Amino acid sequence: MSGPRQHADPLIAYAAELRAALPGPARAASRMVEEIHHGLLDATDAYVREGMPRTDAARRAVRDFGSVAELAPECRRELALAQTRHTARAAALCAPLLLVCWTLARPALGAGAAPLAVLAAVSTLLAAAALAATGGAPARRFHVPEALPRLIAWTGTGASAGMAAATLALACTAAVTAQWPLLLLAGALSAASHAVLGTSVRVSRRCLVPADVRPGHGNGPGACAE
Amino acid sequence: MKTEAVRGHLDGLLLAALEDGPLHGYAIITAVQERSGGVLELRTGTVYPALNRLERLGLLASDWQSVGERRRRCYALTGAGRRSLADERTGWRQFTAAIGAVLDPSAPAGSAPATGGRAPLGPVRHRPAT
Repeated sequence: MSGPRQHADPLIAYAAELRAALPGPARAASRMVEEIHHGLLDATDAYVREGMPRTDAARRAVRDFGSVAELAPECRRELALAQTRHTARAAALCAPLLLVCWTLARPALGAGAAPLAVLAAVSTLLAAAALAATGGAPARRFHVPEALPRLIAWTGTGASAGMAAATLALACTAAVTAQWPLLLLAGALSAASHAVLGTSVRVSRRCLVPADVRPGHGNGPGACAE
Repeated sequence: MKTEAVRGHLDGLLLAALEDGPLHGYAIITAVQERSGGVLELRTGTVYPALNRLERLGLLASDWQSVGERRRRCYALTGAGRRSLADERTGWRQFTAAIGAVLDPSAPAGSAPATGGRAPLGPVRHRPAT
């Protein structure tokens, strides 16, 4: 497996290597790398103003920043937690949809609609726990467990799979009952919940890829000498 | 001062650098280094994920600003950030006073470095015993 192609400009090469080492939410990762790249440009400009040739200044700025191997783990952790919060918000959006599903399906299915209420409860708990543990005042008081992003990613995956199963069950039941319009509507809402949560948990799972199997995270331009 | 020694105080240093107003990432790094008289060594890249973390915790707020072709993310202290900075300062003063009392028992009590309302960013210096 080869790393990203090395660019002649050490700043662009550094940014490319860092971006390649950051799986997960593409937009957030790109913004983080953009911010760091512009920080490198600022640092380079400062050395140039001191009289250093631009190429040397860029290499010095990269050296000051630390290698990608040093920087990537902290960036990955922040991105994983940002995505965990995104998944929690998706779960919070799903909970009311699933409660509407349950309300629609209960007249036709009776106790058979209970799994929808369970999914709504799981979504609510998932959202509340993840949001409280990763942001604001509670997160300032307590250390975020390292396993939290993994826990939320897989719990969310389970809930998303449950929503897909509920969609299928509602669609099948609608085909053989007189109350099919309500069940179809419930199925559509369940499918929407699955789409919302499923998209987010897929990205959350990508954040869990171990750092040492990603390309281009070793001693790259960050380790280059002046 | 070594990077490892600074790391444990990074949050307080970043909050203190933003006390006088919003700054972008590199300006924060420069402010910390200037206020420490160049004594503190930072792996400057690690400041950026730390700023992201402080924003996630609600201690900072940020917005993107364009300066020419360069886009910069500017950070500002929130109310919670100011309270956290005050707590950091109190904790630091108690810590330096306690350590100073042990390491330099001949120094008069309460000779921890004056801060003049700013976080002490440099190494601890005690007045020599007279």
